[in-house]
Amino acid sequence: MKRVFSVFFICFLFIAGSYWSAHSNTGSVIYFYNPETNINNFATLKTAFDTYLVNHGGYYFQPFDNKEKFEAVVYEKKGDIYLLSSWHLKALQQKNVPLKIALVGTSKGSTMQRKVLSTKKDIVNVNMLKNTVVAGAGSEEYIQSVLKQILGKEQESLLKDIKILIVPKDIDAIMAVGFGMATAAISAESSLDKLAMINPNQFRELHGLGFSEKDYLLVAATLKKSEQQEAPLLEILRKMPEDAGEENLKLLGIDGWRALQ
Amino acid sequence: MKIINFCKVLILLTTFLVSTGFAQSNKILIINSDNSVFRYETIAIEFKKVLQQNAYQWIEFNLNSHVDAEVKLKQLILQENPEFIYCIGTKAYSLARNHAENRKLLFSAAINWRRLDVSEGTYGVANELSPAQEISLLRYFFPAIKNIGLLYNDKFSREYVETIKKDALALGINIVNQPINDAQEISEALNELLPKIELFWIISDPVVLSSKASVQQIFQSAKQQKKPVYAYSDVYIEQGAVMAISADLATIGRQSANLALMMDKDKVPEGTVQSPAGSTVTLNKCALDALQLGFNQDALDSVNKIVECGK
Repeated sequence: MKRVFSVFFICFLFIAGSYWSAHSNTGSVIYFYNPETNINNFATLKTAFDTYLVNHGGYYFQPFDNKEKFEAVVYEKKGDIYLLSSWHLKALQQKNVPLKIALVGTSKGSTMQRKVLSTKKDIVNVNMLKNTVVAGAGSEEYIQSVLKQILGKEQESLLKDIKILIVPKDIDAIMAVGFGMATAAISAESSLDKLAMINPNQFRELHGLGFSEKDYLLVAATLKKSEQQEAPLLEILRKMPEDAGEENLKLLGIDGWRALQ
Repeated sequence: MKIINFCKVLILLTTFLVSTGFAQSNKILIINSDNSVFRYETIAIEFKKVLQQNAYQWIEFNLNSHVDAEVKLKQLILQENPEFIYCIGTKAYSLARNHAENRKLLFSAAINWRRLDVSEGTYGVANELSPAQEISLLRYFFPAIKNIGLLYNDKFSREYVETIKKDALALGINIVNQPINDAQEISEALNELLPKIELFWIISDPVVLSSKASVQQIFQSAKQQKKPVYAYSDVYIEQGAVMAISADLATIGRQSANLALMMDKDKVPEGTVQSPAGSTVTLNKCALDALQLGFNQDALDSVNKIVECGK
């Protein structure tokens, strides 16, 4: 009799376990890390996205403030969705991490952005940035990389004589130039448009000393051998703007997603 | 011949040490008013990170760890002979000034630094954002607001309010200011002020904010007249402020360190006191929804914290 009960119990566990795994999305998590911003808003992001995703299929959102910890999750290849900057994605792809772009973020219809090195108009060439402070939002590694690209090989040696001031967001970096806390700022071109709107006098005092190449905004990436379970989550992500999720996307600096052709 | 070669090596070595930053071994003394205070310690941590990246040496002195802090500090300065001193908080700065003996001083986290005894050889990062920064960010979130009101005491805040008015005017915003002599006048002043404005701004004025009751009075009157309240600190969010913008602590630490590095190379004019370059934004969506007040949704990527109802 005991043996019959044991067999029944094991069968019950197996059936219940299969049912549970089929109808829940444990393991389907959106991981987020963006070295292009330095805003400590992870609690807000987690609350906003979890509230949305739990009601749209029971998924979860996990933001990271640390590159190494985020990359550790990517290396584990759990088969989830990773939201990251295209700069970071390229760096990972160079290390042969098998990630591919599934969706690209859009902002006001555009999927691309470029970074601008802005200064006051009396700074007429990059050599004048020697022994000055350049403000930027994001990780220091990222700002250095953008500056290096803008300066080009001929002026690359200037980097060692430039102090980087990391600030929380683009608008802080640009205003730091206007208010004299920094000589130059690295920011997205769209952030200069924001400055033009909120402080036109300060905007008129600035000019672009150099520009980076255009790159995608935030991207949603999956592993190259993607799992079936990611498809519905990607669809939920893609439909967020039409399904009361636009405000959440705006927290990430985008307003929609577009699939790459 | 050997002597000539030795001299050559000596010259080369000296040149190498000077050019590769031997000067960077300059010692900095960090005086922290109280390292158990979160804001002071956050600033100190970020400051030290930048120093470390630039191979600078430092020594630390926490005032709260010593009963006879002033005597110990004096001894330490004589013993270690630091190139310059970084003071976190007003207490640290006041003590350092007495014993600095012509050393360069750099301060941060000093409330209302304009009241400090600041002379040549002193540099700083202010504790508060400049009014122009605050107004610019306010415009970012609420571009339609044109009339902002505030209460202040003439004795404590006249200069600050004048700066606010000037900066606001340059951005097309009208500041309606109402002076009060003591907290008893708040209710009457608000009755007069609130109908003329679209948003009330709480500034850090010791008379206006003299008691809990004064603060309650402001929020009660604003609620009755359905006017949003903006504050300089997020401590007022819980009471119903729709938004608070303050200086980002970590940035103050990094900014101070960059200033120290530039001071060391004599690249900063003496007496430079900078406004904080980083800001922290808290948005109270619960209060905004209650007032049915819209805001620029594109500014959401600049918010650090959103407060929803019941959370």
